Amino acid sequence: MKQKTKSARHRSQGIAPSAPLGLGMVLAALALPLGNLAQAQAQPEYAQIGFKYLGYQDSQPGQERIKVTAPAFSLMTPVGRQWSVAGNVVVDSISGASPAYHTQALTPMVDERRAIDIALTRYFEEGTISLGGYFSQEADYVSRGITLGGTYSTEDKNTTWNAGLNLSHDSINPSNRITADETKDTQEISLGVTQVLTQRDIMQAIAGFSHGVGYYSDPYKIFDKRPGQRDHSTFLLRWNHHIDATGGTSRLSYRYYKDSFDILAHTLTAEYVQPLPDGWTLTPQMRLYSQSAARFYVDFNPDWAPFPANPPPGAQHYSEDQRLSAYGARSVGIKVAKQLGEGWQVDLKYDSYTQKAEYKFGGGGSPYLDPLTMVTYQVGVSKRF
Amino acid sequence: MHPAQAPRDPDSVRIVFQAMASPCEIVLSKDPSVDLQSAARQAIAEVQRIETRYSRYRSDSVVARINAAAGGAAVHCDDETWSLLEFAQALYQSSDGLFDISSGVLRTVWDFKAAQVPSAAALQAVRPLVGWPLVERHNNTVRLPQAGMQIDFGGFGKEYAADRAGAVLEKNGLRHGYVNLGGDIRVIGPRPDGRPWTFGIQDPRDPAKLVASIPLRSGGLATSGDYVRYFEADGKRYCHVLHPHTAMPVTYWRSVSVMAPFAVVAGNCATIAMLKEENGLEFLKKTGMGFLAVNPTGEVFTSTQPPMQ
Repeated sequence: MKQKTKSARHRSQGIAPSAPLGLGMVLAALALPLGNLAQAQAQPEYAQIGFKYLGYQDSQPGQERIKVTAPAFSLMTPVGRQWSVAGNVVVDSISGASPAYHTQALTPMVDERRAIDIALTRYFEEGTISLGGYFSQEADYVSRGITLGGTYSTEDKNTTWNAGLNLSHDSINPSNRITADETKDTQEISLGVTQVLTQRDIMQAIAGFSHGVGYYSDPYKIFDKRPGQRDHSTFLLRWNHHIDATGGTSRLSYRYYKDSFDILAHTLTAEYVQPLPDGWTLTPQMRLYSQSAARFYVDFNPDWAPFPANPPPGAQHYSEDQRLSAYGARSVGIKVAKQLGEGWQVDLKYDSYTQKAEYKFGGGGSPYLDPLTMVTYQVGVSKRF
Repeated sequence: MHPAQAPRDPDSVRIVFQAMASPCEIVLSKDPSVDLQSAARQAIAEVQRIETRYSRYRSDSVVARINAAAGGAAVHCDDETWSLLEFAQALYQSSDGLFDISSGVLRTVWDFKAAQVPSAAALQAVRPLVGWPLVERHNNTVRLPQAGMQIDFGGFGKEYAADRAGAVLEKNGLRHGYVNLGGDIRVIGPRPDGRPWTFGIQDPRDPAKLVASIPLRSGGLATSGDYVRYFEADGKRYCHVLHPHTAMPVTYWRSVSVMAPFAVVAGNCATIAMLKEENGLEFLKKTGMGFLAVNPTGEVFTSTQPPMQ
């Protein structure tokens, strides 16, 4: 198309002065894509590379826990007219201390995770098909998987259906040699629909089901024995609304999660994207989260302190992992992005998260746990070609 | 602006829809070998795609992205947007700087609903924001150098959509019919027996009357006029066609209709003639296109050559 534009401009400059003025406009119009009805599915029209640096620190009163720094590279590029390739590489450096039970006995740890993923997408007039793979490695944990996804849009492009399949196989070899050569196999499917409701409203609903078999226990925790199977269902509802008065967009979402450990979780997210002059975009974000405890979670018992509470006699499964307790969490964050010239964009993200038993919706959070706070910041830079 | 339709014809189907804030229709001669409904649906989808992509009112549109970056960084554009910007450049040149896609910002001071003439100070303040030559374009990027500057494709978006929708119908094998987006018309071909489609041109001072009927076998027809959106104050008519240099509504022509090979070209010639005011007639003659123009006293001027049929 670019070449066509140029040649038409040549021609319009070459018109004889006596030719009707309208002819020049007709020739200019010929450079418009009036006849060329290329595929309407939006294949990316540019390549993009990005670099992000993520920092993360969580803490409980008086003690810092895990610190993560993670530089990540990403690349996405169209290939020909109908394909694109996207990939990411990330290296997480993890250091700090993690509790051996509840929020007690912080045990030092250091680890590094390297992960890579790649996806290939083919664009059709009515939709897309993508195939991808990923691999991630830590000293004690290796995960690999394949993903298959597809989208199908109706002729008017107002409705898009999507489906995804994700298969993964993980190998677990804890550094404390408590166990060896454990595995975990997961199959996940998702089905969703995105519907344009009005010029200003888009809604999306996605249902997901996951079935997993293997080693789910945490080998570094005391008294942790979890079932060998974990299935979960999720349902996500999102609504994006454009506000004419400000030119901004609100994004609201609700996520429902239920699993075979009997954890039931709700997540409410609200964010608002405000474009500002000079290429700035400001996005404040808020999230509320609440979950019930796993069926086999063992509460902290002050009678046992300073020792971990013993699981109930005869219990088949038990865990004192704070992540399986009943709690709620609130987080607020802000993202500032600025477009610079020549396709460059930089963004800065800050997020502050607090997890507490009292924040659980409707009360009933697991008692005696210290609150957990977490600060995340991210600096990103990307360039389009 | 809304040419009355010729009497209903039992040999054609008419699909009516609403898009780009206008009543729209697609009329197709019956053809048992083609799925007319499916072809029309695809053509309507194409109109909606263009509306979504280039609406000034959607923060996710290409135009909103370019405008939001005014005074800041250059914005990358896809090939389609780039070709529309190149076309805007060609129009600016062939209109001696009158067709300026950065002049939409004048609407921020001209409120046609409130029916009020803006103050001299308000006009003074907005005028420096108009200026297509200031817009920096190279290598598929565009940058508006001053905060507050805006571009929009409203000046030819509807006509472009009519041409694209026509192309969708042609791609589906249709050869007889037309697309009419609120009076911006693209004919893909005559009736099966070769007879033209007939479009009535509304009397700019009496919506119930026609000043002319224009037969068309192919190409585009578009009308620009002072009667579509306007208000009157102190006995003076202020119409929605704003002059980029004076920031004031144009005053001369009641309406200008142009026939051209494409709806985009017809629409631009009509608008440029409106912007040229008294000199519009001379411009129309120079274009070589068929036209019909109604002057301030209601006198009708047409191209001496019969329009390209």
